[in-house]
Amino acid sequence: MKGRENSFLMRLPSLFRRTPFRLTLLFLALFAAAASAILAYVYVASASEAQARAEADVRGELQTLRGVYDSRGVDALNVALIDRTLTRSAYVYQLIGKDGTRGTGSLNVSPFDAAPGAEEWTTFTITDTDPDGRVIRPQVRAVQVRLAGGEGLIVGESLGDTEAYLGRLTQALWMAMGMVLLLGLGGGLLISRNLERSMGRLNAVVGSVQDGDLKARVAVRGSGDELDELGQGLNGMLDRLETSMASIRHAGDAIAHDLRSPLTRMRARLEVALIDAESGRIDGVDALQVALDEADTLLKTFNTVLAIARLQAAAGRVPDAAVFDAADLAADMAELYEPAAEDKGLDFSAEIERGLMIEGARPFLAQALANVIDNAIKYTPVGGAVMLRARRRSSGEIEFSVTDTGPGVPEEDRGRVIERFVRLDNSRTEAGSGLGLSLVGAVMEAHMGRIQLDEGPGAYGGSGPGLRVALVLPAAAQ
Amino acid sequence: MKILVVEDDAEAAQAMVRGLAEAGHVASHAIDGAYGLLEAQKGDYDVYVVDRMMPRLDGIGMVETLRKDGDQTPVLFLSAMGEVEDRVMGLKAGGDDYLVKPYAFAELIARVEALSRRRETGGVQTVLKVGDLEMNLIARTVHRGTSEIDLQPREFQLLEFLMRHAGQSVTRTMLLEKVWEYHFDPQTNVIDVHISRLRSKIDKGFDKAMLQTVRGAGYRLEA
Repeated sequence: MKGRENSFLMRLPSLFRRTPFRLTLLFLALFAAAASAILAYVYVASASEAQARAEADVRGELQTLRGVYDSRGVDALNVALIDRTLTRSAYVYQLIGKDGTRGTGSLNVSPFDAAPGAEEWTTFTITDTDPDGRVIRPQVRAVQVRLAGGEGLIVGESLGDTEAYLGRLTQALWMAMGMVLLLGLGGGLLISRNLERSMGRLNAVVGSVQDGDLKARVAVRGSGDELDELGQGLNGMLDRLETSMASIRHAGDAIAHDLRSPLTRMRARLEVALIDAESGRIDGVDALQVALDEADTLLKTFNTVLAIARLQAAAGRVPDAAVFDAADLAADMAELYEPAAEDKGLDFSAEIERGLMIEGARPFLAQALANVIDNAIKYTPVGGAVMLRARRRSSGEIEFSVTDTGPGVPEEDRGRVIERFVRLDNSRTEAGSGLGLSLVGAVMEAHMGRIQLDEGPGAYGGSGPGLRVALVLPAAAQ
Repeated sequence: MKILVVEDDAEAAQAMVRGLAEAGHVASHAIDGAYGLLEAQKGDYDVYVVDRMMPRLDGIGMVETLRKDGDQTPVLFLSAMGEVEDRVMGLKAGGDDYLVKPYAFAELIARVEALSRRRETGGVQTVLKVGDLEMNLIARTVHRGTSEIDLQPREFQLLEFLMRHAGQSVTRTMLLEKVWEYHFDPQTNVIDVHISRLRSKIDKGFDKAMLQTVRGAGYRLEA
C-alpha cells in the first residue's frame, strides 16, 4: 500500500513536468477565469434588471394607491390595502399612522430606520411560506413615502422569482464549469499520457542509439501526424548513419584485410634480406629497395580504399563539383594513355564527340576513366585493340566507353568485379589491388552515374570476346 | 637549401629533418604554427613544409599570416586530408604545393626542391639551357648540340618542366600534376612510356644520356 502511494506521489510531479499536461492546466485555468467572468456578468446584469423591474412595478402600484388615497381618503386606502394583501402575493404593503403606529399591512416591523418622509428605497428580506407551506425568505424591493395627510405608506415587491432563477443559473454555471474542468483535466491527462507514450518511443530509440545500438528504429504508425513524421525523419537519419558507419567499418575491414598480405610479404622480405645481408650474400640495399616498393604499393592501396570510403560517404554530393566538357577529359586521357597502349603493342584509338558538358569533380572522373583504360590495356593481349569513345546517348546522358579485345568478364562476374578487392581468377597474375573498378563504381555513384559492363566486339586475334565498360553520367543542366 | 618543417608529430618531423639533411639540405623544426611563425620571422628559409592540422595555430592560419606579412617563401602543405576541396583550400591560403599523407619520402624531397627552384627562376626566361640541350620558349624549338629535335606539344611541356628542374628528381605524380594537370595516381607505367619516348628523342645518338631514371623516385635531367 505504501509502495503504491509512493509510486503515485512519484508519478504525480513527473506528470506535472510534462508539457502537454502543463498546457492543459493552463487552458483550464484560463477557461475557469473566463467562465467566472461570464457568470459574474450574467449575475450582476440579471440582478439589476430584476431590481429595475420590481421598482417599476412598485412605482405603478404606489401610483394607484396614492390615487385611491387622494380621491377617497385613508379609509378607502385601508380597504384597498386589505384587499390587495389578500390577493396580490408578490407585493407587501404597510400603512403607518400619523403618530407612527402600525396600520393595515403585512409587515410587522418597518424596514426603514427613519419615519416616512420623502421617497426612500430599500431592499430587505421577509419570511414567507410558499404555496406548499415551505418557509421561504425572499428579498423585497420596497419604497416608503409620506402621504398628503401625514400617513406613511410602504409598498414593496418580492424578488423571489428572479432570485430563484439567478440561483438556478449560478448553479448551472458552476456545474458546467466543474464538468469542463473535470473533462479537461481527464482529456489533458489522456493526451499527455498518449503524447508521453509517443515521445517515450522516440526517446527510447534515441537512448538505444546513445547506448550504441544503431539498429534501433521508431515504430511508425502511419497516422501521418507530426510525431510520425519525426519518427520517420529519425529513422531516415539513422539509416543514413548506419550506412555511413557500415561503409566506414567496411573500409576499415577492407584496409586491414588488404594491408595484411603486403605487410606480411614485406616483413618476410626484410627478414630474408637481413639473413642474406648478415651472411654477406647480397647487398642489403637491394632488399631495402624491394621493401620500399612494397610499402609504396601499400600506401596506394590505403589511399584508394580511403578515397572509395569518402566517395561513398559523400553519397551523391561530390566535393568541388564543376561543369566542364567531358570531351576534353576524354581527349586528355587518350593522349595520356596512347603511348602506354602502343608500347604494349595494342592498337589504341579514340572517338570523341565535342561539347559533352557534365558536372562533377574532374580529378575523380579522370581517375575513374584512367582506371578503366588502365584495365583495358593491362588485360588485352599483345596485338589487340583498345578504343575510347565519348558521346552523348540518345537519352541525353553522357557516356564514356572503353572497349577492348581482351578475354572479357563472364556475365555472371560482371556485377562482382566492381566490389572491393574482387579479382577474377584469370587476373591474379597481373599486378593490381582489385580496387580499380571499385573506385570507378564509387565515383560513378557519387556523380549519380553508373558503370555498365558488356561483352566486347567478339573474338579478335585469338582472344576475346573482349569487354566494353561504359561510364554513364547525367548531362549538366543547361 | 634551408627548410623549415612545421609539424606537430615530433617523430615524423625528426625523420623529415634527417631525410632532408641526407639530401643535402639544412632543416629546422617547429612544433606548431605559432612556433613556426616565430621561426619563420627569424630565419632566412628557402621553403616551408607545413602540416595542415596542428594544435594552437594550424597550417592554414600560419601561412595566411605569413602571406599577410609579405613573406613569399614557397610553402608545401602536408595533410592527411586528400579531398579536392582541402587541396584547393590549402592553395587558396597561400600554399604553393600540397602533399597528401602518407607519402613517399622521395616525393617530399622532389617537391621541396621543385619549390625552391621555382623561386630562383622567378624572372621571365625565353631560353632554357641544360648542358648542350637548349629550348627556345618563343620559337618552340629544341636543339641538342647542333641538331634540332622535333617534339609533340606534350613532349615539349614535359621537357620544359624537366629542364626547369634540371638536376632535381621529379616524381611521376609530380609530372602528371604539373604537366598534365591531373591529380591522380596512374596505376601503370603511363608516365614512363611518355618519358621513354622523350628520352629516345633527346638522348638517342648522343654519348651522354641526359634523362635519367632515379630509382624509387622518378626521373632527373642531368647536364
